[in-house]
Amino acid sequence: MRIKWVEQMFDKIEPTFSEGGKLGWLHSTFDAFHTFALTPKTITRSGSHIRDAVDSKRSIIVVIIALLPALLFGMWNIGYQTYQANPGFFNSQSSFLNFWWFGFVRMLPMIVVSYLVGLGIEFAFAQGRHHEVNEGYLATGLLIPMIVPVTTPLWQLALAVAFAVIIGKEVFGGSGMNFLNPALVARAFLFFAYPTHMSGDKVWIASGWWGNDAIAGATPMGQLATGNMPSASVLDMLIGTIPGSTCETSFIAIALGALLLLFTGIASWRIMLSVFLGGGLMGLLFNAIGGTTYLDLPFYYHFLIGGFAFGAVFMATDPVTAAQTNTGKWIYGLLIGAFAVLLRVANPAYPEGMMLSILFMNCMAPLIDHCVVARNIKSRQSRISRTSGSTGKEAHNG
Amino acid sequence: MNHCINVNKGLDIPLGGDAERIVVDMRSAERYAVKPPDVVGFTPRLLVAEGDAVAAGQPLVEDKRDPRLTLPSPVDGRVAAVVRGEKRRLEAVVIEKQQATSGAHAAAPSPLKAESPVWWMIKERPFGTIANPDHKPKGIFVTLRDTNPLAPDLAFALKGREHDFEAGIAALSAFAEVHTVQPTGPHPAGNVGTQIAAISPINKGECVWMVNAQDVATIGHWTLTGEYRPERLVAVGGPAAKAPKYYRLLCGTSIARIAEVQLMNPAYPSLGGTEKSTRIISGSVLSGTAVEADGFLGMYDQQLTFIEEGDHPEFMGWLMPGLKKFSFSKTFLSGFTGLVEKTGLLKQSGIPAPTYTFDTNLHGGRRPLMFTGNFERVFPFDIYPLQLLKACIVGDVELQEQLGIYEVEPEDFALCEFVDPSKTEIQTIIREALEVLRKEATA
Repeated sequence: MRIKWVEQMFDKIEPTFSEGGKLGWLHSTFDAFHTFALTPKTITRSGSHIRDAVDSKRSIIVVIIALLPALLFGMWNIGYQTYQANPGFFNSQSSFLNFWWFGFVRMLPMIVVSYLVGLGIEFAFAQGRHHEVNEGYLATGLLIPMIVPVTTPLWQLALAVAFAVIIGKEVFGGSGMNFLNPALVARAFLFFAYPTHMSGDKVWIASGWWGNDAIAGATPMGQLATGNMPSASVLDMLIGTIPGSTCETSFIAIALGALLLLFTGIASWRIMLSVFLGGGLMGLLFNAIGGTTYLDLPFYYHFLIGGFAFGAVFMATDPVTAAQTNTGKWIYGLLIGAFAVLLRVANPAYPEGMMLSILFMNCMAPLIDHCVVARNIKSRQSRISRTSGSTGKEAHNG
Repeated sequence: MNHCINVNKGLDIPLGGDAERIVVDMRSAERYAVKPPDVVGFTPRLLVAEGDAVAAGQPLVEDKRDPRLTLPSPVDGRVAAVVRGEKRRLEAVVIEKQQATSGAHAAAPSPLKAESPVWWMIKERPFGTIANPDHKPKGIFVTLRDTNPLAPDLAFALKGREHDFEAGIAALSAFAEVHTVQPTGPHPAGNVGTQIAAISPINKGECVWMVNAQDVATIGHWTLTGEYRPERLVAVGGPAAKAPKYYRLLCGTSIARIAEVQLMNPAYPSLGGTEKSTRIISGSVLSGTAVEADGFLGMYDQQLTFIEEGDHPEFMGWLMPGLKKFSFSKTFLSGFTGLVEKTGLLKQSGIPAPTYTFDTNLHGGRRPLMFTGNFERVFPFDIYPLQLLKACIVGDVELQEQLGIYEVEPEDFALCEFVDPSKTEIQTIIREALEVLRKEATA
């Protein structure tokens, strides 16, 4: 579709932002908005004269669409949890829409802060490097508010975002060059810098329309850590009507996003499947040992509690920080799932194993790929030594 | 030896504009060009001057390194122009056809050797150079099916030339075992590189030769009669071609007469117009070369593709449903309708099947290599494409060798380049890496 007046408007102001123009130093910023509004008219020069319609903007927008079910459900659940803990809170107007509106009002400032701080830094770096602004943060910036407790103070969120974007990404050269998932870097930052705001029983349920006060309420993982079975039923956990980080609770909503990611081919099915396989196998192994509540926990509970499903679908599959070879992806995913369950069960003082497990495997991913590729190199070398001495050998010497 | 190989990985791009099986005879065309830059590894020394009369098969240029290797004139005629580019590099020798003086050809069976006018049709891997007659290849590969988008049907092209083809195979057998390959599966099943990888991958220090099936017939004709007649059936098509069909012509023909007929908008710059809205590609749309409307067919090409230039913006293209956009990923609605179409449900529901539009737009900005897993699905080699590409980008020669650089040519990466969401110039990167290695190997 072409819209003439938009094209004309951009054509008109483009010289101002081009090199030598009055605002030439803002070129990256202009370019970001320009390419956002109008897919560039760049044409191929050599090689393949036609190109696939997909680009990184399209890939990122698919991730964002895949996040929407979890996001919308998470908003509703924020209100629902407050209602559960304090039935008088909504007076007599305890409707579906009211719950959702409450959650929306709680989430919106977090999303706005995340985007403003994160994109601000991204634009500044792109400007300084004369690069195009990378759209990767559009997904990261939405992910961060989705994986923290609803009562996280905004200033802490802002700090975490700044840390994640600068230390997690830009120091390595920006999106595509980072080796840690930036959204998880933000969460890990909060987890270690402000542990009291990130764990325990008094962070998950908002007590008012604003502010950081919470109503006490344990997550299934919190209950397990203290040696009790979760009070929520399996159905509750599937649907997601349980306390937890804002948008991680609903297995079904996450599964909807997963379907889109898998259908479009944006996320690796190998990673997604193998994370669940790894987690399930580890769970079964612990079941075989048995003895405590956590060891005896049916393996599929691990998929339903905490951030396991969310991490498997949206975090582990980040192509930049995951293993890049197909074999490597299997190993990477299996170990993420296994380590996440291991951390949960073997160290109950540590509430969420998924985050640490993925970050750890992010670090290991290049090593995994190295080993996988080394095998290919070795097989090629052995092929040479098998055929050396045959007629072809003299070809280049002669 | 005949091989049937099946390839699963790959992609057939539904480009549209397939050549109809109508053959236009253009063997009487007047202008031809011999283009030394098309022949990799050939350092030309000019043997003729403007105005000289030449006979078909007479050498026009020879290789400075090995004077046995020559590029001959395709027809009897006169040297109309010698085209030089930057640094006086010889770009082309243009020949104008003239009636031959009778009896010019010694009609006698001739053996295939380095001095033969048909020798340049034999290419060598690694590097895709003209075959070095001193090398001993471990095999000679001839593909019997070209799977490039809109490529000619080789069985159709060889009809009537079977006798010559057999003779060509017999002549080539004197140098090494000839592997004729009938591939099944999506593109790049028909690429020689894919077939070599499946049958006998190239190791460091080895080499294989390859010949286009139509050129095998030309070689055969030469050995049988001693006449150099580089005939080729060329598929002319593409979404921007007016009447896609086959043309029977001689190698290096001027495409001006084809362009006049096929261009939707005849106001093309080199034809006296101003607006350049169509790109003419000599060769496949995936790895061919853009040529002007008054240019010439590439030395090794057997297809001509017409495609719209895509030099216009699109409003929020990244957000639009994209019913007409083609993507290997299924990130556009066309991915869904395309899938439903296969089940036949689309017809029943009355929704029309997706028709894709293709142009030369890049469809996005260049990015770092952020995405993984796509290349492997269109790259049927025992090679890690992303890792090899990165080794080429950083110029790590040792790693390139370890990862199998000698087994590939730029065209083998064409589909990787097509599907890449980061819009990396992959074929250019591979070509430059190979050039460095080739110069080291021949230095």
